[in-house]
Amino acid sequence: MVATFVLLSITINAQINNATTETVTIYGNCGMCEAKIEKAGNIKKVAQVDWNQETQMATLTYDAAKTNPDEILKRIALAGYDSDQFLAPDDVYSKLPGCCQYDRVAKIPVKEVAMEDHSNHANHQDMKVIATSKNTELQTVFDTYFLLKDVLITSDASATSTAAEKLVTALNNVKMDKLEMDVHMVWMKVFNQLKTDATQIATAKDIKKQRHHFVTLSNEMYSLMKVAKYDTTVYYQHCPMANDGKGANWLSKENEVKNPYYGSRMLTCGKTVETLK
Amino acid sequence: MEKQKNISKIVTLIVIMVLSAQTLFSQKIVRYDLYVRDTIVNYSGKEKRAIAVNGQIPMPTLTFTEGDIAEIYVHNELKETTSLHWHGLFLPNKEDGVPNLTQMPIQPGTTHKYTFPIIQNGTHWYHSHSGLQEQIGMYGMFIMNKKEDDLTFRKGIDDLPTIPVILSEWTDLKPENVHRMLHNASDWFAIKKGSTQSYSEAIKQGHFKTKLGNEWKRMNAMDVSDVYYEKFLINGKNESQLAQFKGGDKVRLRIANGGASSYFWLTYAGGKITVVASDGNDVAPVEVDRLLISVSETYDVIVTIPADNTSYEFLATAEDRTKSASLYIGNGIKQLISPLPKLKYFEGMKMMNDMMKMNGELDDMGMSMSLNQMDMNVVMYPEITGEADNKEKKTEPKAANGHEHSNHNKYDANALANITTLNYAMLKATEKTTLPKDAPVKELRFELTGNMNRYVWSMDNKVISETDKILIKKGENVRITLYNGSMMRHPMHLHGHDFRIINGQGDYAPLKNVMDIMPMETNVIEFNANVEGDWFFHCHILYHMMAGMGRIFTYENQEPNPLIPNPKLAQRKLYADDSAFHIMAENDFATNGNDGMAMIQNTRWSLGAEWRLGYNDMHGYEAEFHLGRYIGKMQWFMPFIGFDWRYRDMEGEIEKNIFGQKNTKDHRAVLSAGFAYTLPMLVQFQAEVFQDGNLRLQLMREDIPVSNRLRMGFMVNTDTEYMLEARYILKRNLSLRTHYDSDMGFGVGLNLNY
Repeated sequence: MVATFVLLSITINAQINNATTETVTIYGNCGMCEAKIEKAGNIKKVAQVDWNQETQMATLTYDAAKTNPDEILKRIALAGYDSDQFLAPDDVYSKLPGCCQYDRVAKIPVKEVAMEDHSNHANHQDMKVIATSKNTELQTVFDTYFLLKDVLITSDASATSTAAEKLVTALNNVKMDKLEMDVHMVWMKVFNQLKTDATQIATAKDIKKQRHHFVTLSNEMYSLMKVAKYDTTVYYQHCPMANDGKGANWLSKENEVKNPYYGSRMLTCGKTVETLK
Repeated sequence: MEKQKNISKIVTLIVIMVLSAQTLFSQKIVRYDLYVRDTIVNYSGKEKRAIAVNGQIPMPTLTFTEGDIAEIYVHNELKETTSLHWHGLFLPNKEDGVPNLTQMPIQPGTTHKYTFPIIQNGTHWYHSHSGLQEQIGMYGMFIMNKKEDDLTFRKGIDDLPTIPVILSEWTDLKPENVHRMLHNASDWFAIKKGSTQSYSEAIKQGHFKTKLGNEWKRMNAMDVSDVYYEKFLINGKNESQLAQFKGGDKVRLRIANGGASSYFWLTYAGGKITVVASDGNDVAPVEVDRLLISVSETYDVIVTIPADNTSYEFLATAEDRTKSASLYIGNGIKQLISPLPKLKYFEGMKMMNDMMKMNGELDDMGMSMSLNQMDMNVVMYPEITGEADNKEKKTEPKAANGHEHSNHNKYDANALANITTLNYAMLKATEKTTLPKDAPVKELRFELTGNMNRYVWSMDNKVISETDKILIKKGENVRITLYNGSMMRHPMHLHGHDFRIINGQGDYAPLKNVMDIMPMETNVIEFNANVEGDWFFHCHILYHMMAGMGRIFTYENQEPNPLIPNPKLAQRKLYADDSAFHIMAENDFATNGNDGMAMIQNTRWSLGAEWRLGYNDMHGYEAEFHLGRYIGKMQWFMPFIGFDWRYRDMEGEIEKNIFGQKNTKDHRAVLSAGFAYTLPMLVQFQAEVFQDGNLRLQLMREDIPVSNRLRMGFMVNTDTEYMLEARYILKRNLSLRTHYDSDMGFGVGLNLNY
């Protein structure tokens, strides 16, 4: 009994030369995660990973002459699992089975604050405030619109709903009184239609219906963006076939046509009809 | 009022004085001393020879400002000659750094001074133009900044922090050996990459017919690159981090591809990549998801760090997607980007089958391709055309009925997926680039030609040493139409001039000095001939250039180059590069005898010997020698003369061949003449007439790829001799071989090859 045990432990250790051990955190949820993490990390005779679901800690045993913890953790991150050194690519994470989608620590994007350093130049600053206040309030609305448009290109109905929900929230969060006069006027006109369309898209489970509402949503958004302006150049694009042959428009940050009404079925159908700067 | 006017006058005066003083001062001499030395490196776990300059690989980044005068002293401390070429620079021809063309090679132990005024700005690089030195460390960045008062200075671009990024690759093999192996059609690199595309792999993936079709059209396994590399490097490292940047920062990367033969895909975990310059020339900013940088190209790109405490991966993946190198931009936890999925080789093979005509020429099926817009390789990219589907036929995403686009979009990467890939049509110069209007135009047309099996690369089926220099006149506009009729892509580079790529941007056609051209593409470039000299125009894949893929432009009635005292000798040395002979040999040490061959060949000629040596007189000894010349573009046909010697103790028995001609093997030494021809399925047909009137016809096929490492072969001839063999490749130079030979019987042995 003891002999077998000793033999066993020898075989395990004998697999890896110059064995070094290190304990690190790897984020995950379930038994399936454990299998995936260990499979991604292990290399015969070079590295062995033992992950514990309870503690989210992993013991790395590796041949220090041949590899290092970073290499192991990078492989694990590329399989979808974050550690304190590496974040998994978003697309890989989102393809993990539902049970494996552990909670990730969200990165906080840096907001571009224009020219704070010039605060002692009183005049300059005023100019800036006026120049930027036009769209700071609406920035999130526009950003979520572009997100929604991108998701529509993929023809994924449930992801479209999620994006539309975000748009509803963004629309509700706009503080009207902070808007410029001219923007305010347009906002009053388009707000109800925008909200109705966004809500309809969010509740619809059918990509066809979602695209139908996206037609009016895009038209109203166009009127808004024409006045409010976006940071970068925006392209107003038109596909003559969409909307049952009546044609439909959308806004995009790229001049390259990616049709949200057809997705991969006719991705490049359409052309830019107006450039908003 | 009056006072103010005076003040403004004085101010203007001061400004003018300061400006003129600056121009005076900015004519400053910038000196660099470069010490070229042998060194030992360890990139892959093995210690290997490399060349370092000032103790480093890559070579040091040389920085200048437009208007400077460069003085670069090269101290050659190697045991061989060297040279340095300033890639993409406008300079006097004698400073261009091409040995035996613009200067004599820099001898060991001597110092050579390069000096030239810096009359341009942008991201460029420099490298050795001697032999294969570029592969083992002799590449570095050459950056020329704009003057601060430059009118083309772009706010938000030219004032960003810049990082030089030079991409390269490392092989543990000596580059000379890589070169030799490529010429000998060794499939060792494919084995290392896992891209043998053998019959068993084909059957497993439901592509048996594809493989048969491929060999029927006389093609070996296809790949997007030729050489297997142990490591890929960014600034000499496989992984590194730029921790000096924080969230929100924009960084300008000045990227040069210093690899000898690898194209790189560039992708970024932090979002879009904004391209702002190419080959040192500004272009209107264009946002893309990724770009493929061809060998020796440069691109300036801007990336943004989206969040704090995070470092975003900038990934350079070799085109064959075997490996990559990473640069993490920002400070903190590393956000990775998905690696590019593996290539679907059999889809690529199928595509090649469709394009290849039986005579070895390519058929673009009326697609008239150009400017990298249509990428036939997309059929191999899972991220664009979907994951490989082994058994069932994919239901192709049908385009809406009768809609005008569908067919020709089959290869347009940007139309097929939600990923924007840069192509040349998207590049637009920031200023007009039109050539002088009234200058005479010289039209030239070249077809890029090649033969993968024999690794012969040429233009119009002629290598450099087989052609004369191309004469152009100073002042004329040279317009070159290039058609790529070969099966590989080629980054064509012109020395000493920038050319316009005619890409539909009209007066704003981008200026470049390297243009990648894919198989079957036709592109037009043009430049104004404005600097006298001998200028190289060549494929920048190092092994293609050394095989002779290039031409030399020379100006009519130009002054002789003072650095070339003996032009005839220099030319002979220059031409020696692509007419060099490559040796290969193998011998099978088997239980029934020795079986082997040796061959020495170059672009056109082949001298080969084959032998079968038994261990006793009964089995006999025989050797055949052939001297032949390869004919035609595909080099399928080779007439030869030969000599055949054999001795075998058959106790007077006389053999008859199937034509009834008598023959004794006892003692025989005869001359012969004949030809070899490669048949469909890559079967070698050989017809040979001996001086005694005997005729021998023979069919032979070696190296049928059964699995990744298993090869089979057969031979049968009209002397009723036959042979069957199987070979398992153990190592680069070693295989296990078993065969049955009608003369010598069954044998097992070890096959050594070089």
